[in-house]
Amino acid sequence: MPPTVPDAGRGGLGLQGIAKRFGPTTVVEGVDLTVAPGEFAVIVGPSGCGKSTLLRLVAGLEAPSAGRIVIGGRDVTGVPPAKRGMAMVFQSYALYPHMSVAQNMGFGLKIQGLPKAEIATRVARAARILQLETLLERKPRALSGGQRQRVAIGRAIVRDPEIFLFDEPLSNLDAALRGQMRVEIARLHAELGATMIYVTHDQVEAMTLATTIVVLNAGRVEQVGAPLALYQRPANLFVAGFLGAPRMNFLPGRLTSQPAGTLSITVGAATVRVPRAEGPRAGTSATLGVRPEHFALVEPDGGVLRGTVTLVERLGSESLVYVRAQDGVAELASLTLRLEGDARAARGDMVGLAFDPARCHLFGEDGVAVGHPPSQEGSSARASVRGVV
Amino acid sequence: MYANRAAGTAYVLPFIFGLAAFTLFPFVASLLLSFSDYQLQDPVSTASFVGVENYGAMFADRTFQKSLGVTFLYVFVTVPLKLAFALFIAWVLNFRLRGIGFFRTAYYLPSILGGSVAIAVVWRYVFAGDGLLNQAFEVFGAAPANWLGEPGYAMFSIVLLRLWQFGSAMVIFLAGLQAIPEDLYEAARLDGASPWRMFTSVTLPLLTPIIFFNFIMQVVQAFQEFNGPYIITGGGPLKSTYLLPLMIYEETFKYFNVGYASALSWFLFVIVALFTAVAFWSSRYWVFYAQERGEGK
Amino acid sequence: MNVAVLASRATPPATGTTGEGRRTLQLVLRYGVLIGVGLLMLYPLLWMVGAAFKPNREIFDSIGFWPQSPTLEGFVEGWRTGTEHTFGTYLLNTFEIIVPKVIVTVISSVVVAFGFARFRVPGRRVLFALLIATVLLPKSVLLIPQYLMFRELGWLDTFLPLYVPAAFATEGFFVFMIVQFMRSVPLEMEEAAVIDGCNSLQVLLYVVVPVIMPAIISVALFQFMWSMNDFLQPLIYLSSVEKYPVSLALKLAIDVTEATSWNQVLAMSTIAVLPSIVLFYAAQKYFVEGITVGSVKG
Repeated sequence: MPPTVPDAGRGGLGLQGIAKRFGPTTVVEGVDLTVAPGEFAVIVGPSGCGKSTLLRLVAGLEAPSAGRIVIGGRDVTGVPPAKRGMAMVFQSYALYPHMSVAQNMGFGLKIQGLPKAEIATRVARAARILQLETLLERKPRALSGGQRQRVAIGRAIVRDPEIFLFDEPLSNLDAALRGQMRVEIARLHAELGATMIYVTHDQVEAMTLATTIVVLNAGRVEQVGAPLALYQRPANLFVAGFLGAPRMNFLPGRLTSQPAGTLSITVGAATVRVPRAEGPRAGTSATLGVRPEHFALVEPDGGVLRGTVTLVERLGSESLVYVRAQDGVAELASLTLRLEGDARAARGDMVGLAFDPARCHLFGEDGVAVGHPPSQEGSSARASVRGVV
Repeated sequence: MYANRAAGTAYVLPFIFGLAAFTLFPFVASLLLSFSDYQLQDPVSTASFVGVENYGAMFADRTFQKSLGVTFLYVFVTVPLKLAFALFIAWVLNFRLRGIGFFRTAYYLPSILGGSVAIAVVWRYVFAGDGLLNQAFEVFGAAPANWLGEPGYAMFSIVLLRLWQFGSAMVIFLAGLQAIPEDLYEAARLDGASPWRMFTSVTLPLLTPIIFFNFIMQVVQAFQEFNGPYIITGGGPLKSTYLLPLMIYEETFKYFNVGYASALSWFLFVIVALFTAVAFWSSRYWVFYAQERGEGK
Repeated sequence: MNVAVLASRATPPATGTTGEGRRTLQLVLRYGVLIGVGLLMLYPLLWMVGAAFKPNREIFDSIGFWPQSPTLEGFVEGWRTGTEHTFGTYLLNTFEIIVPKVIVTVISSVVVAFGFARFRVPGRRVLFALLIATVLLPKSVLLIPQYLMFRELGWLDTFLPLYVPAAFATEGFFVFMIVQFMRSVPLEMEEAAVIDGCNSLQVLLYVVVPVIMPAIISVALFQFMWSMNDFLQPLIYLSSVEKYPVSLALKLAIDVTEATSWNQVLAMSTIAVLPSIVLFYAAQKYFVEGITVGSVKG
């Protein structure tokens, strides 16, 4: 734990030793995080991992059981939400149904006691940024889902906050609208340049919107970093399996002798030599990780592994091939391959699976990554961020 | 949830005060008074403790026995009839007829007005010797009856007044009926159920929470009926409609026997409490709380 | 599924082969029952209004409700009443009691309900259970001590005992109903208001109250209705005739002599129920929604 929370300047967020317990249940534990001003930080994780709780702690809607929260260099741990210099966009938008769009956006300012002229100016500016000018007199029930969301964002903008908080804002929208709003939010970030903390369970949103991703699991931070960094160099099994769709393939194996500069892992009958500087000793169990896009289909005996095709999904631009890898007669693992274009494979085919060991990920007994694949430039990292929709 | 417990307590404070001052204190005071011989016209300090003397007198009092009897009669007759009728009409209405709103309003209106003096006044006229009901009888060739003068008939008038107000219970039943999803009936129909079968196997079980609620509310209200007997029959003739609330009133404000009246009122309370307790206990066996549709909660 | 499609949604089960004929029969029967019962139900009211316009003699002559020689005599004489006050005085008294009562009921019920719904008040469960218990409590057991209490306070023969208790949310049913409605307000909306800088009172006034306004109107309407019919309370507390509300005045009218001018009494009765009827028709949906949420979902 760092001795002090770095003062990141206006718009910076610092969490130090944050924990939240509800009675006997611990929802968030030992979270240390720094977000620099202007960053778009996405907190991502499966349902129940504590990400919403974490956001609410930053907002001040909940008080932490332990730790400090610093916004813009100020310790705001005991400060009420309205005075933290932040604004929040809720999952359900939480618009006031009896007020017009303009009134919704101006409400917070009215409570603060700002003069009417000032309120009107700020509301007009936000309306312009979000293209809500024609809707200012309407009530929320007369708006579409996307419009309501923009009003919710507008309500946040008028407060001129240091930090914007988003709580799964796209979850209530249908798929088409979701994609559209994602672009809008990214544009907003570019235009306003404000710090944004965004919570979602959707790793696609995380990968596309974030400048830095925080992966949360069971109340703990698994890894923090830029999207591609996390994708190419995941710190553990959880992060590796969470980012990227279809999910990374995991093959259980055992480490054997290590010629210098490599680690050998036996997976079934095959031995794969993965380039690593150092690692656990021979004999320990380990997991080999191969991304779906790093596989190639070859002759049954021409690859590292062999298996049977169970299903082929053809999407036109690419194909997903599901293979049951076999070790002799026993099943080794169920693998998903992503191949470009129209794969020449059919259900029931016996195939061989080939991949470049230099692209593989290796995880020790404890799930922690053992080194990382040497960094790749160029075409190799067709880092598939678009999930299969 | 707001964290500020102090503010929350402040919000609830009026209720706490009101509860203490207007409910709990009178509740206990009533019990204490029932053990006294206090007379209304004297200052309270003149009251003296007499133990269970009032209760003893109560059970020996023939007027009380009569009053208790007619009160029970009133409750046991009106409550089942009113509920059954309310349910029946609600079921008839639940047919997606046009004009359902109009009928619902028409039936509900009496229950708003029914407790009023105005209606009691009308009722008194309706059942008078030369009143509406007897006139109607003459028109149809039947012999007029002395409704308010005959002990047997007077009860009929106040029972009818209460039944006339079935609208409020009906509206609640109607809401409950409409909350039962169509799919259940359709599934039953596919299984070959007859309308009666559907009523007993689908409608009734799902309605039991509402029947329970209505039942309790109606019983508690019936035991407190005052306006009807006071205005229409005056408790007579021969105390045939001398319901307990009326007796309590007269003992207090006409005969000034506060101690005795308190004993009566506490006895009434105990009866109602017992009834309610038994009803709640029995509800375990016949009230079926379905899950909210579609949700696991 | 397809069977469901074939059968119109409006039809509960029609067994038997002739679906169409069966349905028509059902309709006829149902409408028949409804209209028949409806007439029986409304006839006393209709008759009352009709009789108000009849000369006194005619009332005893026929059971038809339409006056043969309509006259306003019942209203004019009835308004004068047999006392030294006109009916107008009594009406005014009624409103002097009801208006404060409704106002304080609404305010106290909303405030208390908010405390129950959104705060972790110590002892909340016990208090709430007590709240529900008061709804089931027979009020006759409280009557005498309450009377003595108000007598000690010197409040006899004033309107105070009739509406002051209502200022303390003593009507548990209303508090319960409003709590249910408040719970249906999304918490996120209130949190947004908190972030906007509101304290809890501001959230209540600016956000919660506007959103649950239908419930509040229901409470006001119900309290109005019930209070209009209130008879026992004014009976024991008010002794001066000039303070009598309509309910006591009507009773007085039929007490006076044996030879009651029924057309006058009924004319005044008609006036007495008029506010309730008008209000009811104007605000029907609030009534129905109010009791159903309070009871079906309770």
